Formats: sequence, C-alpha cells, structure tokens
Amino acid sequence: MKVFYKLCLALLLLASFQASAQTSKYKCLLQMSNYIGEGAYITVSLINAKGEYEKTLYVMGDDAQWYNSLKEWYKFYSKKPKLSAKTGASVAGGDRSVTVFEIEDSKIGKGYKLRFETAVEDQKYHATDVEIPLTAEGLTAKTDGTGYIRYVKLSKQ
Amino acid sequence: MTLSVWRFAHLALAVTASLFLILASATGIILAIDAAGQKQPAYTNSDFEKLTLAEVLPVWRQNYLEVTEVTVSHNRFVTLKGFDEDGNEIDAYIDPKTGKVTGKPEAESSFIKWVTSLHRSLFMHEAGRLFVGINAFLLILIALSGLALVLQRQKGLKRFFTKITKDSFAQYYHVVLGRLLLIPILIIALTGTYLSMQRFKLFPEKVQNHKEIAFPDEAPKAQDIATFALFKQTHLADVQKIEFPFDTEDPEELFTLKLTDRELKVSQFTGEVLSEVRYPTTTVLETLSMDLHTGRTNVIWAIVLGIASVSILFFIYSGFAMTLRRRATRIKNKYKAEEATIVLLAGSENGSTLGFANAIHRQLPAAGHASYLAQADDYTLYPKATHLMLFTSTHGLGDAPSNARKFLSLLQKQPQAQNIEVSVVGFGSKAYPDFCGFALKAQEILDGQTWAEQLLPLHTVNDKSATEFTNWVTAWSAQTGIALATTPALYSQKPKKLQRFKVVSKMADDHTFILTLSTPWFAKYTSGDLLAIYPDDNTERLYSIGKVKRRVQLVVKRHENGLGSGYLNSLQTGDSFKARIVANHSFHLPKKPVVMVANGTGIAPFLGMFAHAGKRYDCRLYCGFRSNTTLTEHYRSVATAQMLKHHLKSFHMAFSREADSMYVMDLINRDAAFFASHLEAGGIIMLCGAIAMQQDVETVLETILASQNKQPLSHYKENGQLLADCY
Repeated sequence: MKVFYKLCLALLLLASFQASAQTSKYKCLLQMSNYIGEGAYITVSLINAKGEYEKTLYVMGDDAQWYNSLKEWYKFYSKKPKLSAKTGASVAGGDRSVTVFEIEDSKIGKGYKLRFETAVEDQKYHATDVEIPLTAEGLTAKTDGTGYIRYVKLSKQ
Repeated sequence: MTLSVWRFAHLALAVTASLFLILASATGIILAIDAAGQKQPAYTNSDFEKLTLAEVLPVWRQNYLEVTEVTVSHNRFVTLKGFDEDGNEIDAYIDPKTGKVTGKPEAESSFIKWVTSLHRSLFMHEAGRLFVGINAFLLILIALSGLALVLQRQKGLKRFFTKITKDSFAQYYHVVLGRLLLIPILIIALTGTYLSMQRFKLFPEKVQNHKEIAFPDEAPKAQDIATFALFKQTHLADVQKIEFPFDTEDPEELFTLKLTDRELKVSQFTGEVLSEVRYPTTTVLETLSMDLHTGRTNVIWAIVLGIASVSILFFIYSGFAMTLRRRATRIKNKYKAEEATIVLLAGSENGSTLGFANAIHRQLPAAGHASYLAQADDYTLYPKATHLMLFTSTHGLGDAPSNARKFLSLLQKQPQAQNIEVSVVGFGSKAYPDFCGFALKAQEILDGQTWAEQLLPLHTVNDKSATEFTNWVTAWSAQTGIALATTPALYSQKPKKLQRFKVVSKMADDHTFILTLSTPWFAKYTSGDLLAIYPDDNTERLYSIGKVKRRVQLVVKRHENGLGSGYLNSLQTGDSFKARIVANHSFHLPKKPVVMVANGTGIAPFLGMFAHAGKRYDCRLYCGFRSNTTLTEHYRSVATAQMLKHHLKSFHMAFSREADSMYVMDLINRDAAFFASHLEAGGIIMLCGAIAMQQDVETVLETILASQNKQPLSHYKENGQLLADCY
C-alpha cells in the first residue's frame, strides 16, 4: 500500500511539474479607443470553462484604491488580495500597451478564456470589454473590444 | 476702519481660501522639492539635442530583439520598452545614442503619490478637485487684488519697485515679498486653474482623429529605416513617444510618432506619413500649464515654485497678523455724533494712530464728557461739539492715510455751525521726508475755516513716541481744563519687535566709551542709523551707530545719572540686551564728495562710514575733542589706516583742552577756501555731535560763504548739502 501511495504522489508531482513547466509566452498588443477621460484600469484574467476567475495575468493601473471599480474581478481579488500578477500603469484613451503573458500550454483548447475588464473613473465599467478564447486561432487573431479597448492582438513569441 | 475696496477684497478672498491654501502650499513645497530632485540622476546623453530618429532607431533595434515603445520624458530621459535577445521584457532608461540600459525608472514613491493626491483633490476625488480648482481661481483674484493694493500704495507702476515704508515686520515683508513673488504665484494660480478647468472639460475639446488609412493587402518592399526622410528630419528632442509596429510584416502595423505638437502615423516599410493630426490648442496649453505648475522641466523653475509656495504660507501668516493688529483698535462710541461735545477724528493707515486717539477717547466719558471718535473720512456736522481733535498719520509722500482721503474735501464742504476749538496732532517718522506732511495740510485747511479756532499749534509725534504725545496731552489739558492722564506708559505702543544685541568689546577712557555689538544675522543697518535702547519701560534713547566690520559700534559719553549712558555703561563684554535699529535714511553716506564734521561722540557713524566707503567715495574728516586720550588715539590710528587705504582723503583733529586749544570750528576757518569751494561744487557736509556744535559750525560757514561771495548757507541747506544728526 505504502509503495502505491508513494508512486501516486510521485506521478502527481511529475504531472504538475510538467504542466507548469510547459508554458508559452504571448506578446499582447492592447489598443485603446479614443475615449475622453482618465486612464483606464484594466485587468487581464484567466477564466476557466465554468466561467470562474482562475488567475490574474496582468493589472494595468497602479493605485490599489481604484481596484474596486473593476467590480467582477474585485470579488475574486478581494478574497485573496495579494497580487502575483504583473502590474503596469493605467492606459489612456488612444494609447496602446504592449506586454507579455505566460500561458500554460495545457490550458489551450480546454474552454479557457482571457478576459479584459476595464473601468474608467466616473465612467461606465465593462466587465468583458474583450474576451479571447484560449484556442490556437484565438491566440493569433485580432479581437475587437466592446468598451474602452479598440482591439487586442496576441502573437506567440 | 474704512478699508479700501481692494484691501477688503484681498482680505475676504484670503480668509475664504486660506485653509485650503495652507494645505496646497505646504504640499506644493514637498512636490517642488521632489520635482527639483528628480532631475538629479542624469540618464540622458549630452548629444541629446542633435540626435535624429534616423540615427537612433536602427541602433535601438539592433540592441534588442524587439522594441515596442520609446518615450522621452519632460526631463529628457529616454525609456525603452521591448524585449531583449532572450525574450525578457525590458522597461528601462537607455542612453539614446548607444541604446544601452542606463537605469531603471523608479516608481513614484507612495508618499509623493499621497501628497500629490492631497494637493490636487484633498482625497475627495472629483468634489475635491472642484474645490481645489475654485481655490486656485481665488488665488488668482488674491494675487490681482494684492497687485492693485501695491499699485495703490506705491502710487502707480513707475514707483512699483521703490522703497516701502517699514511699519512692522509683517506689513513690510508682506509687501516686499508680495512684489517679488507676484508673478510666480500668479503663474501657479493661473496654471492650476487652467488644469482644473481642463479637467472639468470647460473648454470645447476638438479631438481630431486619424483618417482611415487604406492599407495594401501585401506589404510594400521594406526600406532601411535609417533612410526615411521623416526620421532624418525629426529630432529625438521633439518626440514624446514612438510606438513601434507590433508586427514587422503586417502592412497594417505602423510607426506612431507622438511629437510635441502633433501625432503621425508612418509606414514601417517606406517611412511615408500616412496620417497626421495636430494636437488641439487645449492639449498644448495643458502641457504648458503642467510644465509651469509642476516645474518638471526645469530645476530652477521648480525651486522658484517651492519658494513661492513657502511665501504663500508667509503671506497667510503676515496678512492675518496685520489684520488682527488693525482690528485691535476698533472704535466704540457711547455717544452719537450729534450728541458729542468732544470729537476725535483719526486718520490712520495701520491703526497705531487710532490707538492714540482711542487712548484719549476712553478717558473722556468717565470725566463726564460726551466724546465721539470717528475715522477722519466719516467727518460730518457736530452740532454740540466744543472741541475737535484730529490725530493723523501721513501715507506715502505727504498724502492722506487710507481712511482720511476724503477728509480735506469734506472739511471744506461741511462747515460747522458753531465755533469749535481745534487741535491737530500729526504722527510720523523723521526718518522720511514729508514728516507729518498730511497733518500740516490738514492744519492749513482747518486754519482757513471760520468756525475753527486753533487751540494749540500743530503738534507732531515722531516714531509713536509716548513722551512726545504726553507733551501734547499736557498742553491740551492745560488749555481746556479737562484732566487727562499724562503718564507716557499709558500711551506707549509696545516697541516694535526688539532684537538681541550682544556686547563684543568695550573700550573706554575717563569720559567716553566705545561699545561694539554683534547683531542678529538678519539685522539690516548701515552707518548713520540709530540704535534705540530701552533703559526702562517707557524710555527710548537713540544713539548714532557706525557699522564697523559687520558689527554695530557706538560711542557713548558717560553722564552723571544719565539714564541711557548709565544703562549702556553697566553692560560688560558678553552681556546682551534688547534694542532695535531705527533706519535714518537722511544720514547715510551719499555718493558725492563728503566732509564729515564731528565733535565728541558724534564721530561714531563716521568711523563706520569710511570703513565701508571704498575708493569710489571722497571723504574728509574734521573732528574735535576735549583732550587727547586713549580713545582719540584710537580714532587717529583708525583714520590713518583708512588714509593709507585711500578711503579717507584727509583727517583733521582739534583738542580744546590741550595746549594750542582748538575747536573744530577753528579747523573749518583754517580751511575756509576749501569749504566754500566744496559746497559750491555740490559737495556734502555731514554734521554729527552736539547741537551747539552744529550751530557754531553753521555760523562759521555763514561767515565763510559771505566773505567768499558765495550763496548763503540756506541755499546749500535747501539743496540737501548739509546733513546733520545732532543731539
């Protein structure tokens, strides 16, 4: 029995190790529309097949006092308000931002999505400004936004 | 007090905005220091101004796997974002010429973020920003009404930077610094207001969008970016930001160049400008306002802004200090104007003259007299009055103080029905020309009124002297039979801020001693000024001083039971005492040939004057003493040393109680021809010492001038060629 458990444990560790090791870098271009107002606060989150937040990949906006304006994401964040994600400055109307995400290869084609959530001080909040399915096509196409984001373009590095 | 409209506006605005302004300027100081400090690590290249995009872009691309964005900050630091050869993200300062990383941009500290947020919105978001914006606008109005006040005070633009009469520390520096810092403060207020207005979209903003660009399906043949004409012409210094194409093969991907005045979309293959948009004026103004308001582009300007912020705090303090002082002398009347038998009118600029009037006014009802105190401008008919007193100071050059401007015309328009006994007291400082000039004018006009009977001739009070004022009180009481208190202490206005002086050395002979005093570092004085000491609570004694090696030097004669000299004589080296310096502008060293004539202790200011004179001046010294002592030997050695340095042209000494008894007048008679020609050539004679000596010297000069057939002495006196400081 003991040996069996040990084996299982070893297998499990190996599997998780492999899973975490196999990631790819994606370059992401985020082009804002020409809206008028303050710089937008944007979060990029990994959403699983059930539509739940799983991981925060990137936070644009460096003042934590405004995080609650990203309502949906804030519910997830406030449970464990420690960010391991990358952070950057907020992005103003007409500007663009280029960054890199690391996404585990195993998550591709499994119903996962990348969600771009946006909020601007004293203006409308967009829970799903852009949503990109984690599929081979999704990760290379240009996806138009519905709110402050004009489009998002990803390319594998 | 009737204050001018401008003063009222200035005060009302300041009261409204002061709390906010204290906060804004305190945070402003911190932000200015931060802005000035930011320039310190210089990450930029010395060739920055010359670099063109065609030179630097290929270098950057060579150094990195990919460049996504380059920004040039207002302080000329170049930040590159992209990926290095290993695909790691780069976000760092680079040397624009070599493309090498030189430093890491530091995130704004949370403290500075906190201060900035407090400064611009008081942590109240939009509502706070609105409030701050309104207050910035109020600051404009405060600065403008302050400007109007200075113009009014100085009588026009031409005299804007001429001297200001010093009344109190707060008042003097409020005006002096106000004049200097008006422009930076106005700029801070204007730009702050503009930024707020911009923020609340009070200006129609015409955002121009790029036109739709028709892209070819296939990428054109790529040319070397170093050959792009646009890149060759564009200097890095004119760039705010360059966005690089995301994909080097995609024809829809472009270079986006954000220059200082416009934004360009440029083909990544041919360098052709595909679309150009000029920034709206509002954006250009916003950048300018931001630069001016924060000092982010220039260290020196940031420092100026910091100083201006500090000064706003000072203005709030000194402004309120002045107001409180004015309020302290508010008028309370038991009787109405029409019931009053004794009327007191006060013409007061800063309230101190009103204080004297009030001190009299308060005593009268107790003695059964219906007294009425009013501002001079509130002059009206007083049907029951038997006595009228006018207490007035003088503003500027013999003009009326602010609450007596209409007084003279009212006086002529409204003659009283019955005869009234009138007495005028003028307040002023002999340190200025036109001493009690307005009181004199008022006396003349009153003399011309049939109803006014002069009870006493015009009485003047120098430098708020309580003793001089009680002289008038005594005279008035004697004339009217109305008893008034005559203790000077009752009328003494506390001497202005006293400073601490310390005895550094003391040199003495049998009758006289020289005291050398160190002053507080901020004390401003020069030879010929006076030192006011206070041997007891209501006595002020003045001594002429010389400034010798940045120390105050006074020469004092010991008098039996002398209050002032006894007090000074009791001081030993190392002792300190409180006193103040009274500026004596009419006895400063002029830049014309000067003959200095002194007897006894009158030599004090001259010892300082030629020590500082330098070769540009033409000074001669004639002095007389009783006998040859260690002190006169000291004067001789000082004078000889100055002659060797050519600071002093000649030096003559007379002793009245030595063999060959001589007085200083004898020396003048000996050099009669020189004195005559000196005066004729426009030279100055300065006299310091005993009044008797002054009279004797003037007699001698009269005789000389008459015998040499020159103009009479009075001619030169009127010409300001005879300056005297005698006692």
